[in-house]
Amino acid sequence: MSKIKTVDARGLSCPQPVVLAKQAIETNEQVKVIVDNDTALENVKRLGTKQGCDVKVGKKKDGVYEINLTRKAGAAGTKDDFIASCDATPAASGPFVIVISADTMGRGNDELGYVLIRAFLHTICLQKEKPDVMIFYNTGVKLTVQESEVLEDLKKLESEGVQLLVCGTCLNYFEIKDKLAAGTISNMYDIVDTMSRSGRLLVP
Amino acid sequence: MNEKPQYSVMLFKAVSYVLKAEKILKKEGLPHKLIPVPKHISSDCGICLRFEPPIQSKIEAALLNKVEIEDIRALKD
Repeated sequence: MSKIKTVDARGLSCPQPVVLAKQAIETNEQVKVIVDNDTALENVKRLGTKQGCDVKVGKKKDGVYEINLTRKAGAAGTKDDFIASCDATPAASGPFVIVISADTMGRGNDELGYVLIRAFLHTICLQKEKPDVMIFYNTGVKLTVQESEVLEDLKKLESEGVQLLVCGTCLNYFEIKDKLAAGTISNMYDIVDTMSRSGRLLVP
Repeated sequence: MNEKPQYSVMLFKAVSYVLKAEKILKKEGLPHKLIPVPKHISSDCGICLRFEPPIQSKIEAALLNKVEIEDIRALKD
């Protein structure tokens, strides 16, 4: 039962290490995978987690890692294909952008939408992975001015390095430019440029 | 002085109760924040009001006979 299958994936390039590891863990309770680069390490770790394994990593010298995958009792493992990310940076390369296009979340009922957008921004503050940039336009800019009920959240995000771009045309339209209390006044060029470069763009 | 304020949350049966309570608290100038119901607490409505415990009695008094409160829970962290 306690036989450990060893997969030596040193010298192999992505996605070979994760493919071999996957084959091994599908037929063995315990697998030791030896890799020699960070991408393979991350991919095999993710595979292990996804397959419902205990994942333990031991660092050897010269950038070599031993990853021990142990199938947890009852974990059947997923049948779906695991997609290995072969880039050095697994996430998309551009910035993570959130677009706040209104002072509401969703369409239909504005009173409810205003409840939801506040809950959304509160929750974004609690997320480990923060956006790189948040863009505010149309009635979304109303959230960034004095007396906004989400100012505290926006300032917190800003203090944690999130860039807040606020549409100047929109502030001007609502005649609240002088009340801006979080973020920096921006323009369509920067907004379009940021959106175009984004690796991930989220519109609540 | 604690650096991180401790909070409690007030739970309601429905979103409409939260909104009604919020209007009253705003009018009374009692500080609060509308937040999603924390994951470890179950509630049908999903939204609740967070506040600092020292003003709990004032909040309860303001809402008395106006909005039914379902529960008040201390928030860890």
